[in-house]
Amino acid sequence: MATREPKIIALVCNWCTYTAADLAGTSRLIYPANVRMVRFMCTGMIDVKYIIKAFLEGADGVFVGGCHPGDCHYINGNVKAERRISGLQVLLEQFGIDPKRFTLKWIGASEGPEFQRNMQEFTRTIAELGPQIESDMMIL
Amino acid sequence: MIVEFENTLNTPDAVRAFLKRLLDDALADAVLTAFASPHSPLPMPTLMIDSQLLDRAVPLAPAAPLNTARMAARVLSKDIGKRIAVVLRPCEIRALIEMEKLSQCTLDPAILISMDCFGRMENDRYLELAATQDDPESAFYATPDLQEAVCPSCRACLRFIPENVDVTLCLAGQSDKKGVTLVSGSLKGEKVLKKLGGTSTDLPLGRQADIDRIMARRQTHREEMTTGAAARMADMAVFQQTIANCLNCYNCRVACPVCYCKECVFVTDVFAHRPEILMGRAMKKGAVKIPTDTTMFHLTRMAHIAHACVGCGQCSSVCPSSIPVADLFITVSEKVQEHYGYIPGQDPQRPWPFLVVETDKQVE
Repeated sequence: MATREPKIIALVCNWCTYTAADLAGTSRLIYPANVRMVRFMCTGMIDVKYIIKAFLEGADGVFVGGCHPGDCHYINGNVKAERRISGLQVLLEQFGIDPKRFTLKWIGASEGPEFQRNMQEFTRTIAELGPQIESDMMIL
Repeated sequence: MIVEFENTLNTPDAVRAFLKRLLDDALADAVLTAFASPHSPLPMPTLMIDSQLLDRAVPLAPAAPLNTARMAARVLSKDIGKRIAVVLRPCEIRALIEMEKLSQCTLDPAILISMDCFGRMENDRYLELAATQDDPESAFYATPDLQEAVCPSCRACLRFIPENVDVTLCLAGQSDKKGVTLVSGSLKGEKVLKKLGGTSTDLPLGRQADIDRIMARRQTHREEMTTGAAARMADMAVFQQTIANCLNCYNCRVACPVCYCKECVFVTDVFAHRPEILMGRAMKKGAVKIPTDTTMFHLTRMAHIAHACVGCGQCSSVCPSSIPVADLFITVSEKVQEHYGYIPGQDPQRPWPFLVVETDKQVE
């Protein structure tokens, strides 16, 4: 089990990171298949429970991708997300979840190669950290 | 303004006399305080209009079957033109201030009264005390041993001196004195004390020494508690053991004064899983525990409100499985509150950290 492929959940904003992923796709940029993407209308609507759920269901890492500050389609949802997520990082660390497993990045709609690079880097980080928790032993 | 009040009566009687004066002199239209009904010695928050009935009030009783801030918020959910004096513990005052920020109540019509808090006992412990003592209230303040029998969150509470109140009842340093010293903390409070017309005085001499003594003891307890709790959630496997007996009754959520959502996601259809979902989950792992999502519940509740936890400990008190929910919460919230630089109940003008948008980032 220790060598299993890392599972990564990416929660991404419809207006930027998701579009960047689309661009990466149409540009034939390859990124690791470990990443499972979930599209949100804004990172500001990502409640902490979605991130907690991802970890409890066996994700080894969670990536949140939003618009650059100032570019939010809904004015400031991304900044709110950053604030909320920073607190969650502090919280999860106390439960033995390495803050490195959990990252927030700004990737604009035109940044296809940036998206690819981020996915590769994050997947490498998570692979180095190894599996997070054996969700089989969880009561949940 | 500092006033010495009724220095011939013993302290709990002097406090009762003070509350009666509020009604008799029309300084308040009603008083919300702890009241032991004829049916049980356990005091319940009671809204009182008739000053005669205040004889049975026990504002200083070391018991709090629920966080009275929630009850106060009901009375104060809108301004109906009546001035309501509410007697709350410091943690309850903090909760009420947080609730006002969340538009759950208005504090304009309220006269906030609080006391140096020696803690509350669990209900069964208080009932035991009340069964053997005619006057459990006075017995508690006269007996240091009893003051050690308060619930764990109170033993570890460092914020037992009221903040942001109109009137403080000084109890620290009061043990061998009669009467009660009242301190105003606002213009509203000062007006009340002026109309009351007691003798102007200084803070009780031994007060600071008494506060320091209690603080030192509590700091020790707090360190013990947070170290213990941190070990109980050091990783997910240990945390599973800690909450293994959780029944998903959500009592902790109901009792929590700052977990205020009327429609909590955990009691909606989102978590009322359909049979195909349950079968799917069982298929994934070979079995699924029902009720589901126990870990999810505790982690999510912490993530939602750890920054606002006032440390009242009601979540532990109501747990049917004796899970030390409050120990965990207090430990986690210490870190989260430090991260946000947010101290619940400290500054009524300061919004919840989630609601603050750093504007410089927006236009970067």
